[in-house]
Amino acid sequence: MGLFPCDFFKFLVKRPLYTTGFIIVVAFIILGCIAPYILTKPEDAWGVTYDLNKAFQPPSPEYPFGTDAYGRDMLNRVILGSRYSLIIAVCVVGLSLIIGVIVGLVAGYLAGIIGTVLMRLTDMFLAYPPLLLAVAFASVLGRGVLTAIIALAISWWPWYARLMYISVNSVKSALYVEAAKVIGLSKFTIMTKYILPNSLIPVVTQAMLDMGSAILEASALSFLGVGVPPPIPEWGRLISEGWVYVSKAYWITFFPGLVLLVTVVGFNLLGDAVKEYMNPRLRSIVAKR
Amino acid sequence: MPITRTYLAKRILLLFLVAFGVLIISFIITRVIPARPELLWVGIHARAEQIERARKELHLDEPIYVQLYYYLADFFRGNWGVSWRTRQPVILDIITSLPATLELTITAFILAFIIGVILGLIAAISYGKAIDKVISVFSIIVASIPVFWLGLVLQTIFSIWYPILPGGMRVDPSLVIETGFKPITNFYILDSLIQLNFPVLLDVLKRMILPVITLMMYPLGLTIRMTRSMAIESLQEIYVKALEVWGLPRSKMLYKYVLKNVIAPVIASLGLSFGYTITGALMVELIFVYPGIGYYVGMALLSFDYPAILGGIVFVAIIYSLVNLVVDIIHAWIDPRVKF
Repeated sequence: MGLFPCDFFKFLVKRPLYTTGFIIVVAFIILGCIAPYILTKPEDAWGVTYDLNKAFQPPSPEYPFGTDAYGRDMLNRVILGSRYSLIIAVCVVGLSLIIGVIVGLVAGYLAGIIGTVLMRLTDMFLAYPPLLLAVAFASVLGRGVLTAIIALAISWWPWYARLMYISVNSVKSALYVEAAKVIGLSKFTIMTKYILPNSLIPVVTQAMLDMGSAILEASALSFLGVGVPPPIPEWGRLISEGWVYVSKAYWITFFPGLVLLVTVVGFNLLGDAVKEYMNPRLRSIVAKR
Repeated sequence: MPITRTYLAKRILLLFLVAFGVLIISFIITRVIPARPELLWVGIHARAEQIERARKELHLDEPIYVQLYYYLADFFRGNWGVSWRTRQPVILDIITSLPATLELTITAFILAFIIGVILGLIAAISYGKAIDKVISVFSIIVASIPVFWLGLVLQTIFSIWYPILPGGMRVDPSLVIETGFKPITNFYILDSLIQLNFPVLLDVLKRMILPVITLMMYPLGLTIRMTRSMAIESLQEIYVKALEVWGLPRSKMLYKYVLKNVIAPVIASLGLSFGYTITGALMVELIFVYPGIGYYVGMALLSFDYPAILGGIVFVAIIYSLVNLVVDIIHAWIDPRVKF
């Protein structure tokens, strides 16, 4: 693991499919960061424009992705949308990771009644199908970027709590933990200094790979009208706006969805790459052939 | 005997615990988070005395644990509120729309399972060849597709640009009148078969094609990936290699030895993907105007019909827990290595 990045790149280069995934993800992150500075028609992207003469223009050299019902350039809106998708995904995954790691760590190390209660609580949240709990919360909290993040994180953290719990359980009987106990360190010190750093890697890896799903779920939330409000050009929002006009202007839904699909495929490919890289058994099978 | 009675008892107990948790969470969503919960109950156009009545009905002036007691009591009595949109009791709406969703999701699941296992096995035996690569890429794309987008694209292509397939509803209303079709169980395939009403059966099936294709994509992708990786591992096992050397025909080997190792994990992963499929149904049914639970909750969301939204979601969560229980039991039954 020491040479992770270098080794990993060598591993990637040999596999064109995984390299593609990696490039897509990097491109998406860069696009999300620089989006507001490369817009050619910022007023279209932010949704201020209202020009019915330019409405429903099909894709053309001037408007590669066409224009929407208010005459806004779709390409600009999709580019700016990447920023919202990136922000939402990072915040949802980050927030869930923090909650999940704390719950999993405490439940795993303290065990006993506290541990059981925390894990049963986690099970209760997991009883909801993935998106539905977020939908329920978002419908009551109201629309907005922040509420969408909170609603998604509420339904997302239990997965990390469970993963962390398993990871902590495999670490807590290690010799160095026993040693720390013997010399009389406090439970808090043992948890934060010894168990946390040694059980974090699987959870954090999983969280990074989940970014694609987070983007997908955020867009589904917006599509259902309980996520990000208009005129924010989040991709799910754009698809939902074009839904009504799908018979006369396919491009309003088609291009945001295509970009969304490519992004998610990129994350999933990268996820597969990391899994294959980290799983020696899979790698040895590959090497044999 | 892999399934012990204690295991079953434990799982069923856990199911009750989880169902209770689902209710507590939904109680928090409806009664604790909103500033004025009674407004969610009566709708935007309610008059002052209606709001006052709702406050009394929901026991909002009592302490929170009393409210919780009444909430649970109402739930078990089937008093889930009245939908603002349909003006009917939510529980009635849910029961009438359940068969449509079941018909759709079960069909999608069976197809995803069969096609997925076949494609996964094909990919595994041609491991590293072009066909394996094609299937692998296909499975990744299919598992990443935004369900609502695919639904819209298919609808645009096959019912607007080239109107081969109808783009919505469960059955043509005029056909229902013409042939005198009567829904009995609300499972239209079953109903039309009982009444030997083949024009309706054909129409129902035709209208299921696009929603089913949209819905089955995620479980299909997952099944292919799971089957492929399990089969590749299993083909590496020493006894399978031995059989190969011994000259057992490939098809027999696949069927007798590899498939057995593959089925259990595939079923487990299908159970997992049921959650995604049921939320997918929310969007797919909305797009294809297919009046199941997904459509019901989706319309409720679009019209801010809170009793319907929360009733529907709680119901789906309980169904989801039940499905997970069944899947775990099947898994344990097929794969004796699963420990309890």
